[in-house]
Amino acid sequence: MTVHLYLSLLPEALIASMLNPEEFGAYYAVGTAKKSRGKAMFFEVNPGFRNDHFHIEEAIKRCIPHEDGRPKSSIYISIYRVLEHMDLSALKELYLVTQDGRTLSLKSSDDIPCKDDGLHLYQEIIPVTPLVASRLDPISFYELIVKNPTSLVTVPAICFVELRLGELAQDPEMGLIEDLPYTNSDHLRQCLSDVKTKYVSTKMVDRIHSAVFSYRTVKNGIFVGNSKQLRYYPMPSQETLRSEYYRWWRSANM
Amino acid sequence: MSEVWIYIGISVGVLSIGVALYLYYWVKRQDPGTKEAQEVASWIKEGAQTYLKRLYIALTIVSVILGFIIAVIFSLNLGDVTQNSLTITPSNGIRMALAFVFGALCSAVAGYMGMGVAVEANVRTATAAKESLTKAFRLSFYAGSVMGLAMVGLAVIGMSVIFLLTGQAEAVLGFSFGASTLALLAKAGGGIYTKTADIAADLVGKIEVGIPEDDPRNPAVVADNVGDNVGDVAGMGADIFDSYVASVVAVMLLGATFGSESQLYMIIPMLLCTLGIIASLLGIQFVRVRENGKPGAALNRGTIITCLLFAIMVAALVILAELNYGILWATLTGLVTGVIIGFTSDYFTSEDHKPVVETARVSGSGAAINIITGFSYGLMSVAPSIIGIVAATLLSYYLAETSGISGIYGIGISAVGMLAISGMIVSADAYGPIVDNARGIAEMAGMGREVIERADILDAAGNTAKAITKGFSISAAALTVLALFAAYAETVEAAGISIEISLRNPIVVAGVLLGAMTPPIFSALTMLSVTHNAFDMIEEIRRQFREKPGILAGTEKPDYATCVDLAAEGALSSLVLPALLAVGAPLLVGFILGPDALGGFLGGSIFTGVIFALLMANSGGLWDNAKKYIETGKFGGPGSDAHKASVVGDTVGDPFKDTAGPSLNTLITVMSLVSSLFAPIIAAFHLF
Repeated sequence: MTVHLYLSLLPEALIASMLNPEEFGAYYAVGTAKKSRGKAMFFEVNPGFRNDHFHIEEAIKRCIPHEDGRPKSSIYISIYRVLEHMDLSALKELYLVTQDGRTLSLKSSDDIPCKDDGLHLYQEIIPVTPLVASRLDPISFYELIVKNPTSLVTVPAICFVELRLGELAQDPEMGLIEDLPYTNSDHLRQCLSDVKTKYVSTKMVDRIHSAVFSYRTVKNGIFVGNSKQLRYYPMPSQETLRSEYYRWWRSANM
Repeated sequence: MSEVWIYIGISVGVLSIGVALYLYYWVKRQDPGTKEAQEVASWIKEGAQTYLKRLYIALTIVSVILGFIIAVIFSLNLGDVTQNSLTITPSNGIRMALAFVFGALCSAVAGYMGMGVAVEANVRTATAAKESLTKAFRLSFYAGSVMGLAMVGLAVIGMSVIFLLTGQAEAVLGFSFGASTLALLAKAGGGIYTKTADIAADLVGKIEVGIPEDDPRNPAVVADNVGDNVGDVAGMGADIFDSYVASVVAVMLLGATFGSESQLYMIIPMLLCTLGIIASLLGIQFVRVRENGKPGAALNRGTIITCLLFAIMVAALVILAELNYGILWATLTGLVTGVIIGFTSDYFTSEDHKPVVETARVSGSGAAINIITGFSYGLMSVAPSIIGIVAATLLSYYLAETSGISGIYGIGISAVGMLAISGMIVSADAYGPIVDNARGIAEMAGMGREVIERADILDAAGNTAKAITKGFSISAAALTVLALFAAYAETVEAAGISIEISLRNPIVVAGVLLGAMTPPIFSALTMLSVTHNAFDMIEEIRRQFREKPGILAGTEKPDYATCVDLAAEGALSSLVLPALLAVGAPLLVGFILGPDALGGFLGGSIFTGVIFALLMANSGGLWDNAKKYIETGKFGGPGSDAHKASVVGDTVGDPFKDTAGPSLNTLITVMSLVSSLFAPIIAAFHLF
């Protein structure tokens, strides 16, 4: 059986598995008898990827089928500071898994969204998980966090998603919340208002926010970058998701 | 001449059943769809039939026991008991017992026919939805019409045959008591079944595991869909059958006191029902929808046209047959008020109006605020219906009096006026669970987004129809029991005992309080049954997910049958106490405290019963639609804090609107019928 390498984002880990991405997604989200359940997000990693920081060969050796012939579901290779040691060009598709185990694959694209004048809301996924309001577009935000030597708060690599703000992007004080499911909306309005009117370009909305977010709130896609490279995984439109990936979309909307 | 009218009634009843059978076979001829869809439908069909089989076995036992008791008691000539001489006339008892069993049988057949077509129509509706909304709507509505037309046809035939054979309103009372006993058990049992499955499926499936509604991986999904049939089709059919027959029998009992004209005034309610069937048969033809049309508007159009046709026919009958104009005014009063009450119920439960929107809006502050708001609007929703009932009562009373007939007879006629178009009302109501099931099958069989979206449009119209029907049936039940209340007093007085129901009499006050207590206790018993049974089913679903991890991964099939069995066993075993309360409480009060107290008991039970029924039906519907409103993307949409709070409110409202609420009108009808039936015996034997 083929051994796959997966970079899990929820939580951050590098995993070897004999399951294909869809099976791995279902297994990872739904769990087995251990009852570990919840959304999952992971990249499939090029099987040829090697890095001295990870004992990949050792993990592959251990990744053998069970006695009854079932494939080995997971061998954890690393669970700490994984992304910063990844070669981003080794990342293949990104898989978004609903909490009941349905998987959607996203391909990377070079069409990184262009600048717009509205405000932005970023959910950082790894290595830290704050929810951040900003007037910076995604590329500027990535550069601020990863590539700006003068910034006090930097990380060697980051994965984040831009979330929809709807009318709040233009009018944080009076815009309608509509279908945005964010908690503590008054505080969110205040943070957006601050980045709009004050000197600061970013403001933490929630410093211990869970990295789990509703997939329907994704504005454009998911970004992953380090000092060398930024990769972008665009999310299909809601209409496309509804018409072409109905079952995934229905589960994602739970 | 009277016999001619009865034969006409029987003929129209046969015609109604003939059309129902024609539609039944028309539905069965439609494309049943793919193998997967048929397999899913077969699970639902099997589960529903298994439950009904068990229910009807239990009901047969109850009917035989009650029939035997009735036969024995009514064989005794109680007029002679008071004179210390007891004679036995077995034919009286046998006649009453047979009428009772016949009533239960007709009600059971109507429910079974409705459910029989519903479990055939669900998969065919889903298949038709692949083609067009128009086709799916027509199929599901015609399937619902099978229930509506079979029900009114059987009721009119049953009552007419019994009256023709016996010439006695009391025998029809036995028929009505049989129908009501079955209705109470079918409605309460169906209500407990459906909400047990629904709540358990939602709490584990949606909240704990995170799988969507009607997902085939949920072990309770089949039980949930079976519940739609046994609760909303068979149970609801039996419920309306009971109200329909009880309203007629109440008027017949009052008409029997009209001396030389009694024969005519006893058959007038049956005549009105006959006209109502004809109006319904015609009205159903107007229920059509275009591809981009609104199914809800089509259903409402059918109801309005049926009402107009019925009104015209009643006017023609009164003029041509030179009947008292009080009949016309009372009928129109009931008809108009019924429609108004139905549509005002919709105001409190529709997403287009303030109560639902406001409840959804405040849900962002948590479940407690959602529940308080929904409950408060539910309390307010009582007002239009109560005012409507008051208006119908007073108008029909005084219009009848000024026309020269008994005012209380006019009240009874207005109840018949409301229910005479039940053929149409039930058709629209039974359509709801059919499209709900169709949606479930489309989801479980993976029939695609377009089918599910069309089924959603059809389902939304079904919910509105359901709200209107509930308003109709509760209000009609209130008027019916007012007439039955008068009939009870007449029966007691006919037994030679004067009855005075005054609040200055402590015995009456005791009766009022005991009566007022009964609907809340009944509600508690049925809702506790739901929570108790849901707890067991939740454990079973969790066990399946725990022991078979492949279920969630989609590699293993859940054990649907165990959940279906759990729901059925739980519902049937939960019926004993509510049934004993309904039949036993009025008898205990009557035999211990006497006829005056029993009169007070009926009054108290009517007041709280109607208020609780309206409150529960409307607040439950309101919470449900507040959640749906948020799910359309308002106030944060799915997954938001508002949505989580609204899910709690909806779950609280589930047994309100589908278990306790709809059973209460049957409860007060059963208690009124028991009192009227046993009034002569109670008049003869009581402690105080």
